[in-house]
Amino acid sequence: MTSSPHFERFIDLLRTREAAGAVRAWSAAMQEGRRLSLGIKDREIGNPHSPLRLSEDGGLHYRIVWDQGTYSAGRVERRTLADAPEEALDEARETAYDDPDAAWIPPAVPLPAVETHVAATARIAAGDTTPFAERLGVIRARFERSGARTWSGGCGASEGSLRYASSEGADYRTAGTGVSWYVGLDGELGDGHSGRHLDSDAEFDARLSRLFSLREIFSREATPPAPGTLPVLLDPGVVESYVLGTLFHHLSGSTVAHGEGRFSREDFGSEERLLRDDLELSHDPTVSLRRGTYRFTGEGVPAAPVTYVRGGRLVTPRLGLKYARRLGLEPNAAPAAYDCVRFTGAEVVPFAEGLRRAAGGIRVLGVLGVHTQDIASGDFSLAAPQSLAVGDEGETGRVRATISGNLFDVLRDRALRFVSFEGETTPGLLFSCRVDPK
Amino acid sequence: MIEELEGLGRLGEELCEEARRRSVRLFWRAQLRSIHSVAVQDGKTESSSRVTAGGHGVHVVTADGRSALASRDDFVPDAARDLLARAVEIADGGASLGATRAVVPDLPRTRGVAVPELVPAYDRIDLADTARRLTELEQEIRAGEDDVQIRVGFRADLDGWRILREDGSDVRFVIPRTVVSVRAAHRRAGRSHSASASAFSPSCRALGCGDFVTLLTKRARRAVELVRRLPDAPAHPSGSFPLVIDYALAKGLAHEAFGHASEADGFRSSVLARDGRFRTGTRVGADHVSIVDEPVADDHAWQPFSANGLTRDPVRIVDRGRLSEALADPWSAEAGGVPLRGSARAESYRSAPLPRMTNIRIEVDGAGPAPGDFEDYDPERVRSLLAEAGVFRRHREIRYLSGYSGGQVNTTSGEFVFNCKAIYVLDESSIRLHKPAIFSGSMFGALESVREAFGPLRLDALGYCGKWGQSVPSSGGSHYFLVLDAHPEVKLGGGA
Repeated sequence: MTSSPHFERFIDLLRTREAAGAVRAWSAAMQEGRRLSLGIKDREIGNPHSPLRLSEDGGLHYRIVWDQGTYSAGRVERRTLADAPEEALDEARETAYDDPDAAWIPPAVPLPAVETHVAATARIAAGDTTPFAERLGVIRARFERSGARTWSGGCGASEGSLRYASSEGADYRTAGTGVSWYVGLDGELGDGHSGRHLDSDAEFDARLSRLFSLREIFSREATPPAPGTLPVLLDPGVVESYVLGTLFHHLSGSTVAHGEGRFSREDFGSEERLLRDDLELSHDPTVSLRRGTYRFTGEGVPAAPVTYVRGGRLVTPRLGLKYARRLGLEPNAAPAAYDCVRFTGAEVVPFAEGLRRAAGGIRVLGVLGVHTQDIASGDFSLAAPQSLAVGDEGETGRVRATISGNLFDVLRDRALRFVSFEGETTPGLLFSCRVDPK
Repeated sequence: MIEELEGLGRLGEELCEEARRRSVRLFWRAQLRSIHSVAVQDGKTESSSRVTAGGHGVHVVTADGRSALASRDDFVPDAARDLLARAVEIADGGASLGATRAVVPDLPRTRGVAVPELVPAYDRIDLADTARRLTELEQEIRAGEDDVQIRVGFRADLDGWRILREDGSDVRFVIPRTVVSVRAAHRRAGRSHSASASAFSPSCRALGCGDFVTLLTKRARRAVELVRRLPDAPAHPSGSFPLVIDYALAKGLAHEAFGHASEADGFRSSVLARDGRFRTGTRVGADHVSIVDEPVADDHAWQPFSANGLTRDPVRIVDRGRLSEALADPWSAEAGGVPLRGSARAESYRSAPLPRMTNIRIEVDGAGPAPGDFEDYDPERVRSLLAEAGVFRRHREIRYLSGYSGGQVNTTSGEFVFNCKAIYVLDESSIRLHKPAIFSGSMFGALESVREAFGPLRLDALGYCGKWGQSVPSSGGSHYFLVLDAHPEVKLGGGA
């Protein structure tokens, strides 16, 4: 984190060109960071395929509106900033093109005061591996008692800074930390934590206990249900990777502006309920010390709560500067992690109740093939090899299945239920769809 | 870039000298990369940029076998020396974490250079001119169909590496990759569908090449036609069916179902290994089927040297139905009971190399003829080909899976999935389009069910592979078409 002089020099160059009339407006955001990480592959900690890794890097993102109104956006690596900043600006000019919606710089505004940096995490990122050593010891001991064949995973910590300056007078600074761990058993079940600081020992133990308990059930083969339309309970991880991933794609300003998704510009702010009338989707990056917490985006948009869906009505798309202008709406702060996202309905049932209502169906712990789906249609046909059959007394053991349907039909269904899971900010989802066990 | 890679040798040699002084093994990887990209939509440029990146990674193995990788995004000599010291320090500290000890085998001292003639042109890409050409191309593909959204993207990626080891090995290579991609989307009655098409060239001037543009336009027009028809197509029911898959899906089958499970770093849990060792000689498929991985010149996934500075060799993974060789690197070959093949690749200098595929293909002995160019095979012509070959005498109906849209595998269980862009139910008198559905099952069942093939080998199905969070280009293929018998462990769908 030593490149501040290079950043100062680069924005001085921008100011000089602005004063000379060659540049109409500009912004620059410099990110620098370091990270320490360690992998575990099939019980081997830190082998050459997953060694202890220490990395340091950085770079500057610029947005420039030139004198003729043309626009450039790009990235300059740290070594170019040090050695050849003038040439970097000349190259930026060569890539300029007409993009009137992107060619503007937001005004400077006050930023929210949020906490994103934890000194203990920064010490790990700088090389103090003691906390990881303790955690790995616990995981290894639990694994050896579990009967699982193998485990893999990883842990890592990072510390970074971001500085943003613009021709509109902004000079924003922030620093943050991140830390994560993950354990996967037998290449099939896994769990972990990701945050600004390590989870507490109690939270860590509780998460491990849930994982190893789940593995016990998973190790039993169950009689699969007959194929048909059955209750399906998606675990929070599946909701994040498939449901929220798809929904946020359709809520992207680019998708809306180009007519590539389910929603059109006219749907936002209209009275029509395109999703079920109690469905809410919002995001708040100003809650301190969450993984998704931040003060401002790389485009200089301040962090603030955003509501995307309220009562089944669309409120706003996810909007950076370009598509905000194109759609005639205000830019907003995009989600950086799901722990700042709130996805819910009028009724959230506890896990035990959700499982009771899933009787006769399956609980889906993981799916294969999310990235192979036609995201535009919302149609899904997903292999769910990590599933549990659910009987009247709860989960009975492992089944493999394919689940299929249409996500938007699910999100309008009166029978859809949100299910709370211990230790998770994202809910599970309970609904009915086609299930074809194998 | 070429001159800069050459100039980095002095820094690498200095670090190697320091590694020898410290008695540590060193794999030093320097990478320089430049990416030019342009995207147009609705006749307008939506993005245009040139990004460069570079840095180096110091991967050490200490005398007692602990390893560490430290990296920086510059080539400052003092910082590089500090980086090596830091890497040795954290590797030594691995003992407190219970880090595994590794033995570095004796490796062949390798020196070599591979820089294709097309590389220098990547320094002179005119993005404004490229944007104009893409806009014209968008209009040609659209052909007046204004209710279809079309986005055309150009990406020219030059990926240069210099890899040195403390044993005197020194290789440098530059990989040129240009991909033009088209995404089509269509919304009708509140429902949207999308489909994509792409073409690869090692030349950044591909848009000026008639054959390249013709190929891309044919593929893109097919995507446009598909998105217009998919809203009316029914879902396909679940089950095991006789199938015909095109060469792009065959690449997906080889890559997902067998390639990943043959990567020796996973042998402690792979279904193709027992007690950590490759099950060489085990029958895993039909006798007339083989699977081969090798770098192919002028290909999307070409890589002549491994990320550990070894020459990359071809690997015959399955030889006429039996496991033969594995994708192995210095850390996994001996433990896995397989020859060292120089199979390691890395996304960047920050990444630890892993055994990875390059261009993987399925070969079938005695493939039947499929005259003409693959791109001219629409479902009607596929049906005629199958009818003339007598396939409908064996199967009243056959499902034709067209176009690859990604896959995934669990190498521990041997379960794989991949998806197609469309399903056509073919019989002797009709062709019925269905929406795509997941194709999943056991890798053994899939390879066992390959019955016959038609056409010459076509190996330009391109993709990206994301093993352990590292994205590297992949490619491959097979004969134009493979016919698979129904197998209880291989399923299509289902559909709602």
